[in-house]
Amino acid sequence: MAALSVLALLLLLACGGPRAAGQKRKEMVLSEKVSQLMEWTSKRSVIRMNGDKFRRLVKAPPRNYSVIVMFTALQPHRQCVVCKQADEEYQILANSWRYSSAFTNKIFFAMVDFDEGSDVFQMLNMNSAPTFINFPAKGKPKRGDTYELQVRGFAAEQLARWVADRTDVNIRVIRPPNYAGPLMLGLLLAVIGGLVYLRGSNLDFLYNKTGWAFAALCFVLAMTSGQMWNHIRGPPYAHKNPHTGQVSYIHGSSQAQFVAETHIVLLFNGGVTLGMVLLHEAATSDMDVGKRKITDK
Amino acid sequence: TILFLAWLAGFSSRLFAVIRFESIIHEFDPWFNYRSTHHLASHGFYEFLNWFDERAWYPLGRIVGGTVYPGLMVTAGLIHWILNMLNVTVHIRDVCVFLAPVFSGLTAISTFLLTRELWNQGAGLLAACFIAIVPGYISRSVAGSFDNEGIAIFALQFTYYLWVKSVKTGSVFWTICCCLSYFYMVSAWGGYVFIINLIPLHVFVLLLMQRYSRRVYIAYSTFYIVGLILSMQIPFVGFQPIRTSEHMAAAGVFALLQAYAFLQYLRDRLTKQEFQTLFFLGVSLAAGIVFLSHQPTTWVSFFFDLHILVCTFPAGLWFCIKNINDERVFVALYAISAVYFAGVMVRLMLTLTPVVCMLSAIAFSNVFERYLGDDMKRENPPIEDSSDEDDKRNPGNLYDKAGKVRKHVSEQEKTEEGLGPNIKNIVTMLMLMLLMMFAVHCTWVTSNAYSSPSVVLASYNHDGTRNILDDFREAYYWLRQNTDEHARVMSWWDYGYQIAGMANRTTLVDNNTWNNSHIALVGKAMSSNESAAYEIMRSLDVDYVLIIFGGVIGYSGDDINKFLWMVRIAEGEHPKDIRESDYFTPQGEFRVDKAGSPTLLNCLMYKMSYYRFGEMQLDFRTPPGFDRTRNAEIGNKDIKFKHLEEAFTSEHWLVRIYKVKQLDNRETLDHKLRVTNIVPKQKYLSKKVGSQ
Repeated sequence: MAALSVLALLLLLACGGPRAAGQKRKEMVLSEKVSQLMEWTSKRSVIRMNGDKFRRLVKAPPRNYSVIVMFTALQPHRQCVVCKQADEEYQILANSWRYSSAFTNKIFFAMVDFDEGSDVFQMLNMNSAPTFINFPAKGKPKRGDTYELQVRGFAAEQLARWVADRTDVNIRVIRPPNYAGPLMLGLLLAVIGGLVYLRGSNLDFLYNKTGWAFAALCFVLAMTSGQMWNHIRGPPYAHKNPHTGQVSYIHGSSQAQFVAETHIVLLFNGGVTLGMVLLHEAATSDMDVGKRKITDK
Repeated sequence: TILFLAWLAGFSSRLFAVIRFESIIHEFDPWFNYRSTHHLASHGFYEFLNWFDERAWYPLGRIVGGTVYPGLMVTAGLIHWILNMLNVTVHIRDVCVFLAPVFSGLTAISTFLLTRELWNQGAGLLAACFIAIVPGYISRSVAGSFDNEGIAIFALQFTYYLWVKSVKTGSVFWTICCCLSYFYMVSAWGGYVFIINLIPLHVFVLLLMQRYSRRVYIAYSTFYIVGLILSMQIPFVGFQPIRTSEHMAAAGVFALLQAYAFLQYLRDRLTKQEFQTLFFLGVSLAAGIVFLSHQPTTWVSFFFDLHILVCTFPAGLWFCIKNINDERVFVALYAISAVYFAGVMVRLMLTLTPVVCMLSAIAFSNVFERYLGDDMKRENPPIEDSSDEDDKRNPGNLYDKAGKVRKHVSEQEKTEEGLGPNIKNIVTMLMLMLLMMFAVHCTWVTSNAYSSPSVVLASYNHDGTRNILDDFREAYYWLRQNTDEHARVMSWWDYGYQIAGMANRTTLVDNNTWNNSHIALVGKAMSSNESAAYEIMRSLDVDYVLIIFGGVIGYSGDDINKFLWMVRIAEGEHPKDIRESDYFTPQGEFRVDKAGSPTLLNCLMYKMSYYRFGEMQLDFRTPPGFDRTRNAEIGNKDIKFKHLEEAFTSEHWLVRIYKVKQLDNRETLDHKLRVTNIVPKQKYLSKKVGSQ
C-alpha cells in the first residue's frame, strides 16, 4: 500500500511536471509574443502583418494585450483613396501612442494589406476596406469592436475615442505641427516690411493703375475659374482611367471638376478678356494705321 | 423704348412655368410668404405686424411679425390694395405669382441708371438687357417664385444707383433718397448686410486713394446715421446694427471718416508721405481670410448662370480701373467682393449677377463704340443707336431662335481711315453673334432648368407627351376638405409651409427650422417602432401623419431617402434611444430589402411608406413590392398597424396620409384566458369494479 501511494505520488508528480512545464511553455510563448510585438513597435508604430503573423500573434489564444488592426488595400492599382487618407490618420494615432508617456504593452497597432494577407480577409469574411477591428485580450471581437467608419469618419481623434471606448486606453492624439501657415505669414510680413523700408519715401508705385487693374483681374479670373472649389474640396489634377489608361482632364459630372479643367477655363477666360482689351486698344488711334491693322488681324 | 423692350423680355422669359402649368406658387418658402401676404391682405397691416401664428409649430406657435423681413409681403399687399382700389379685382395669389417678373423689369431699369452713371448710356442699355435675361437672376425670380430675392435685387441696384449719385453730387437730397431705398432693402432681404459693408468699404478705399472730398463726407455721414435709424425700424433687425460684428465695419468707417475730416480741417501738416505710410500699413495689417466651408462653386455654375458675361466682365473691370474715378472705385470693389463670395458659396451667385452684367455691358459698349464707326462723327450717333436697337430687339424675339445675321448694320459703314471696314464688319458681326448665342442660352436655361414649380411634377413619355403628377396638391386638398379644421398634421419639416399654405392645417414643424428639439421629436417618432412613436404622437396631439413615398414612380426626393437625416437629428437630442448604426446592416449598408436591419424594417417611417406596397406589382419583370427608387424588393411585405390607419394615398402613391387612432376603450389582455371547463384526461376508474 505504501509502495502504491508512493507510485501514485510519483505519477502525479510526473503528470504535474509536464503540465507545469506546459504552463511555463505557454507563458513563455506569451512573453515571447509580447516582446516580439514590442520590438516591432519600436521599429515602426504600425506593425505590418501578413497572414501568418496575424494568425500567430493576433488570433492565437494566449494574449493579455489587445490589437487594433487596420485592414486596408494600399496598392495603387486598388485605387482606394479613402484607404490612403485613413492610413495617414492611423499612423498619426499609432505614433501618438508610441511616443506618449502612457505607453504600455497592453495595446498594439497593426495593419494587414489585402495584397499581403488576402487569406486573412477571407477568413474574416471581409469585403470592404478600410476596416478597423479591435481584437480584445479576452474573447472574440464583438459588434462594437468594428469601427463604424461611415458614421464617425477616419479622423485620428475619432479613432482614439473608439479605442478608448473598447480598451479603456486613452491616447492623446498629437499631430505633427504644420509650419506652412506661419511660414507664409512671416514671408508676407517680410515682403511688406521690405517694401515699406525700401520705398518708404516714394509710394507712387501704388498709383499705377495698370498694376491694380492687373491684380484685380488675376483675382477675378482665379475666382471665376473655380479655384475656391479646388481649395476647399482638393480634387486631383486629372484622372487616369485604370482600365484603358486614358487620361481625362475634364470631369464627367457638372458637380465636380479637376484642377486641369480649372486651368483650361482660366486660360480661356483670360484669353477672351485679353482679346476684348486688345480689340479696344487696337481701335484707338494711338498707333499708326498699319500697326493697327496688323494688331487686330 | 429699349428699356420697355428689356422689361418685356425679362417679364416674358420668366413665364415658362405659368404657361406650361398654371399660375401657382412654387417650391416651399414662397408658400409661407404667400400665406403671410394673404394674412396681411385680409387683416390689415397692424394685424400682420403683431401676428402670432398658432397654426405652425404646434404646440409652440411662431411669432411671425418679429421673425420675417416684411418688405415682400408689404409690397405685394400694397399693389393688391391699389389695384383693388382702382376696381381691378386681382386675387392676391396672382399678384404674388407675377410680382417677381414685374420687379425684374424694374431691376433692369435701375441697372440702366446705375451703369449710365458709371459709364455712358450705351453701356447702360446693354446692361439693362443683360440683366433682363441672365439666368443667374432668373433662377430666383421666375413667375411663381415669390421670395425675397425677387424684390431685393431691385432694391440693391436702386440703392447703389442712389449712392453713386450722392457721391457724385454730394447733395443731401440724393443721400436721403439712398437711405429710403436702403430702408426698403433692409425690409426686403437679409442680404442688406452686403450693402452696409460695401458702402463703408468704398468710402474707406476712397480715403486710401487720397480721393477724400466734401461730397464723400456729406454722403456717408448722412447715409450712416439716417440709414442706421431707418434700418432699426424693422422688428426683425431690431438692435442688431449696433450689436453684431457684421455692422461694425460701417461704424468703424464712420468714426474713421470723422477723424480724417477733422484732421483735414485742422490742416495738420504731417508730411504727405507719412500719412501715406500710415494708411498703407493700416491696410496691410487687415484681417485674415475666412474660409467658409459651405458649398463652393465650380466653374460650371459660373458659366451656366452667366454664359459669356463671365468671360467678358474682367475686361470691363480692366476698363473701369484704367479710367478710375470715385464711382468706378465702387463698382470695382463690388465686383471683387461679389466674385469672392460667389466663389465660396454657390447661392451667392445672385449677388454677383448684377455687377457682371454691368461690367460686361461696359466692355461690350467700349468695343462697339470703337468698331461701329470711329471717324465718321456725323454718322456715329445714328449708327450706334440703330445697332443698339437691333441687338436689343434681339432679346425681345425670344421665340425666334434662328440666328438672323445682321448684315444691314455693317453695310452702313462707309470707308474710313484707320481700320478697314472689313475688319470692323467682321468684329461687329462676331460680337453680335456672341450676344445672340447668349440670348439663346439664357432662354434655354430658363426654360429647362429654372421653370419648374416643384409642387407639380412633370414627366415625359417616349412619344414626347407630358405626364403631369399632381399628387401633392391632390393630397393637400384632400386634407383641406376631409379633415377637421383644427386637425394637426405631423410631417417632416420640408413640407410644413406647403401644408400650411395649401391644406390650411396646423403643422408641427416647418421650413423655418427654428426649434431643433421639436424637429428632433418628430424625427424620433418617425424612426421608432410603432408603439414608441404612438406615445410621442399622443403627447403632441397629432391627428394625421403625412409622408412622401417615391417608390412607385421612382421619385428620389422622398422621405425614405431623407430618413437618415431624421435619425441623425433625433440622435442628436436623444442619443440613448436612437442610434444611427442600428439602421445599417452589420456591413454598414443602408438597405430596405430582406437583408436590411430589423430596426429599420420595423420603424414607423418604413411601415408607413411600404404599407400595402408588398401587394403591388408595377411591372411584370419585377416582383411585387419592388421599390423603384431604391431598386430593391422590400423586406417587410406583411405590414400591420396597431395605432394608425391609412387615410389617403395619392394617385401615384407619392403622398400618403395616415390617421392616428385614439386609444382603445378597452385594453386587450395579453395573457391567455382562464379555462373553466377542464375535462380530465384520464377517466375516473370506479373502484367498484370487481377485483380479480
